[in-house]
Amino acid sequence: MSSLSLFLTVFLTGIVLVVAGLGIAILLAPKSFNLQKGEPYECGIITHGTSWMQFKAGYYLYAILYLMFDVETIFLFPWATIVRDLGYQGLYSILFFIVILGLGLAYAWKKNVLKWD
Amino acid sequence: MYAIITISIVAIIVLFLGAIQKKTPLLPIIFVGLPVAFIINLLGWNQSIHYYNEMYIADNFSIAFNAVLIFTTLLVFIFAPVYYKPVKRPLEDIYALILFALIGALTMTGFGNILMLFVGIETMSLSLYILAGSKKFDPNSNEAAMKYFLTGSFASGFLLFGIALIYGACGSMNLETIKEFVVAHHNNIPAMLNIGLLLVAIGMTFKIGAAPFHFWAPDVYEGSPTLITTFMATVGKVAAIAAFFRLMSSSFSDMESSWVVTLTIFAIATILIGNLSAFYQDNVKRMFAYSGIAHAGYMLIAIIALKQQAAGVLLLYSISYTIATITAFAVLILVREETGTFSINAFKGLAKHNPTEAFAMTIAMLSLAGIPPLVGFAAKYNLFIAAIEQGHLPLVIVAIVGSMISVYYYIRPVVAMYFNLPSATSAIDSSSNYKKQIFLAAFLMIVLGLIPGVIINLI
Repeated sequence: MSSLSLFLTVFLTGIVLVVAGLGIAILLAPKSFNLQKGEPYECGIITHGTSWMQFKAGYYLYAILYLMFDVETIFLFPWATIVRDLGYQGLYSILFFIVILGLGLAYAWKKNVLKWD
Repeated sequence: MYAIITISIVAIIVLFLGAIQKKTPLLPIIFVGLPVAFIINLLGWNQSIHYYNEMYIADNFSIAFNAVLIFTTLLVFIFAPVYYKPVKRPLEDIYALILFALIGALTMTGFGNILMLFVGIETMSLSLYILAGSKKFDPNSNEAAMKYFLTGSFASGFLLFGIALIYGACGSMNLETIKEFVVAHHNNIPAMLNIGLLLVAIGMTFKIGAAPFHFWAPDVYEGSPTLITTFMATVGKVAAIAAFFRLMSSSFSDMESSWVVTLTIFAIATILIGNLSAFYQDNVKRMFAYSGIAHAGYMLIAIIALKQQAAGVLLLYSISYTIATITAFAVLILVREETGTFSINAFKGLAKHNPTEAFAMTIAMLSLAGIPPLVGFAAKYNLFIAAIEQGHLPLVIVAIVGSMISVYYYIRPVVAMYFNLPSATSAIDSSSNYKKQIFLAAFLMIVLGLIPGVIINLI
């Protein structure tokens, strides 16, 4: 039962904190209206056209490929710090991992993902 | 474990053969690779090997379910040439994604660490999100993929948050260690563990499509390409329910009091919502989505009535649901090819032209409804007996009422096939492979209905 009351306390405290924070902000904050505040970029060039337009899928595919090598780095760094302790088994494992990632890149290459036209 | 590696290699080979524009060897490689993986999987029987610091456990439970999943995927691939006949390009991406989803499913049944469960679920779900939208120029398919992706990633978030809370409470994600923690703190389970378990349960009930987290299923099942719907409704559901069962039985069976009531309410709601909504559907594909929801409710009963025996009963129920659903979808794909619609009217007079297909569909429908002597009856009977022994009588009464409602909508296509005059269409010609597969499924449904004990006592 004590855990339930603890949970209730935490839960209610959370609600009270959020509601109080927002409520006090609404009550106390000075209100002013300005047309420029509604713009997406308050400073800089005036936007024109609609934002519901198509853009090139190539950006997305490039980002995915970059992400792939980010993940590779995340795995390579911990491996590199203890490379001596792991010995040859660690070396083979990481080589296998890199080959699998390379296969992914090769597939993307073969599918003309890297061609920007 | 080695089955997973085999399937990965097959998937990568398929992917690269497609990339160099080789179309013909794709399916033969899969038809060799999957049976090999099936046999490799069965070789580990009774050995219970633990891999990678208990990350993956190949015990009899996971081997039996993996066998079901691999066999089901093989059946799905048998329909692929018929379903994708009009498509001219190599379909390596779709085939490879189905295989990757299968790898995720195999990981889910044998996890020994909750992180591995999450990895498996994500591997399967991400492949399924793409597959749902694989009919690129069909707005319905795009809509299905979008809905599935948004709601599914939301559910994954719940699951991950729950895993974090469980880790916070127990200090480990290993199933064995969590069980030791639960046994040691039997009298004062921390609230964090209860909340974490509830969030994980929400994530899992979403993945199996149980109420109140079922809302995505009808739209996604209807919009996706029919072959993918077949895969989703069988492999996806069975893998998720097996993973849920494994999690509950191996870690949380000693704190039943904190989740049995919740899951009982979930199961009752699922059975009623699934059956009552299926009642009103004229679209057969959508009807199967609701029927799948209802069956998810029945399978939840196996988790609620946890006991040693329940694993075997769940296995039998999964097999019965899988075979019947896949047969029904096979006939549905054929009918759709011919008439261009999923409406129940498309089935009118099918028995005149195609007696084999009509017979197989009838067997599948009766098995899903639970009519003896088919396997669906044996599965439901054993499930209800197990639940009554554990004292869940009200739940079983609701389940039986739901089962009676379901007879109506399962019989509707049968009535349309046998008692209505055929519409103007001529006979649908199906390949002999297709007929063999349908025969095999109907045969299995009858034989397993006669000897259900073989399956139940297996694990």
